[in-house]
Amino acid sequence: MTALADGAVDTEVAALAHRSTAAQRMRRRAPLLPALIFTIIITQLPFLVTIGISVLNWNVLRPGDNAFLPGVELGKYESFAGISNYVTVFTDNRLRHAVMNTIVLTASAVLVSVVIGLLLAVLLDRRFPGRGLARTLLIAPFLVMPVAAALLWKHALYNPDYGLFNGVLNWIWQLFGAEQGPIIEWVTNMPMTAVVAALVWQWTPFMMLILLAGLQAQPGDIIEAAKVDGASGWQTFRFLTLPHLRQYLELSVLLGSIYLLQTFDAVFTITQGGPGTATTNLPYEIYLTMFRKYEYGEAAAAGVVVVIGTIIVATFALRTISSLFREEVGR
Amino acid sequence: MDRQLSTRAKVGWALGGLAILVYALFPVAWIVSLSLKAPSDLSNQQFLPTRFSLENYREIFTGNASELFLSALRNSVGICLIATFISVVLAMFAAYAIARLEFPGKRLILSTALAVAIFPVISIVTPLFNLWRQIGLYDTWPGLIIPYLSLTLPISIWTLSAFFREIPWEMEQAAQVDGATNWQAFRKVIVPLAAPGVFTTAIISFFIAWNDFVYGISLTSTERARPVPAALAFFTGSSQFELPTGAISAAAVIVTIPVVVLILLFQRRIVAGLTNGAVKG
Repeated sequence: MTALADGAVDTEVAALAHRSTAAQRMRRRAPLLPALIFTIIITQLPFLVTIGISVLNWNVLRPGDNAFLPGVELGKYESFAGISNYVTVFTDNRLRHAVMNTIVLTASAVLVSVVIGLLLAVLLDRRFPGRGLARTLLIAPFLVMPVAAALLWKHALYNPDYGLFNGVLNWIWQLFGAEQGPIIEWVTNMPMTAVVAALVWQWTPFMMLILLAGLQAQPGDIIEAAKVDGASGWQTFRFLTLPHLRQYLELSVLLGSIYLLQTFDAVFTITQGGPGTATTNLPYEIYLTMFRKYEYGEAAAAGVVVVIGTIIVATFALRTISSLFREEVGR
Repeated sequence: MDRQLSTRAKVGWALGGLAILVYALFPVAWIVSLSLKAPSDLSNQQFLPTRFSLENYREIFTGNASELFLSALRNSVGICLIATFISVVLAMFAAYAIARLEFPGKRLILSTALAVAIFPVISIVTPLFNLWRQIGLYDTWPGLIIPYLSLTLPISIWTLSAFFREIPWEMEQAAQVDGATNWQAFRKVIVPLAAPGVFTTAIISFFIAWNDFVYGISLTSTERARPVPAALAFFTGSSQFELPTGAISAAAVIVTIPVVVLILLFQRRIVAGLTNGAVKG
């Protein structure tokens, strides 16, 4: 009897436990929901709307008769466009130019800042007095508000009359007895370089931090062993440190590309995309299409193209991150 | 091994280090110096002001630019604090669930958060612009707080779960075994352990919202909601022929200093949080 009762109680307990895990499972997910739902609504829903708009002929100044999403009052479009907006993105000279500019801008800013970031990281990886202070100071450019930084590069450094660059040239020329240094119109003469230089200055600390984390994760005994075997500093760096850093380098290139693809502030403030369209990248072109030409459908199509580009880059980024993760676990 | 360096190598490293510091800091120092110059000095191309003047600061706080700058500062501080608060609270729940509970799809959720974090802002801003104008959120505080949450939430979830995973949660049970109530165990043991992570996440979120430019310039049109980054782009000189460099420098110093101080104070932790989040995924 007691045995039977015990058995009954056991099953009951088991059933209770089971039921509670089912309830628990619900409870477990509950805390996740608000943040997740909100994040998805706020980013994915507008994107779906963007995709919807991208296949419409819709200029905000010439509203048509067709309601977009009837009942939600999202405005009225002219007609269905099919893929013609996308065709425009890839065939229109302005937009094609913007795509090229985006690639040039992103690639050069990322590569230069990774190279300088690597130099800084190697320097900071050594022990020297004041290392903490030096690292702190080197992060400073990353902390300046991007728009403020871009404005200051434009007004305080590049300005031909009172910018610091021409000031320094002037000073050097005067050291050698000349009356007046050359006056260089930095932004007009080399617009792309001007934008890239400001971006590189701001993004180098970001690259440096990732690469420094990589350097400090490098086991010291291998370096010691190489030293004992008589490897030179350069050899150690070339054949041990660099291969070890490969994944961190990839990560910094990919994350940097994802963020720099979206560069808007620097272009908007330093060159306004000019002269002509020399520095107009896709985000700035989208802004112009939307807020100057009011071509809603075209801007949306270009936006979708940017998203697809970002997803392609990001897929590689995620792969790099997960391979880093696997290595961490495997260790 | 450092002691074996020759004097020449040492001098080389020192020179290299100096060059790098100049490269990183010169523009920053130049901003500070410009902001302290008198208007007549602004274009003299000298690195240091010939006489220190607070004229530029007066300009943005009480002078011509004050209307633009002070309202923008108020908007930015208010909007960013509210957005940071909401996103940290929401992210705390999510990160708690991710760090403490085993359930299917956990990695998927973290990957989604990461994917959302890299979503190009410019592709979202056009539909938002139209929607906000239709439903009356255009040029209002909530009209910026909502999109800012989409920037700050993913990164908050990401960094907070990295922090929460490191917390020894057994200590909560240990405290309960020692006779603490649930609430006491949570408040006395878990909160102090979690606080640094939460605080760091809040700083990162604030930093991201504070620096946003695309939403700020596209979704506002007046002093009602225009944040600092957008306002900076609208600065003009006191006359048409005068560039607003002095006022911009002063404003840049004012909006950068709080961020720099906060981040420098908590630097080690922020770097740890970001790298843990990214590398240990």
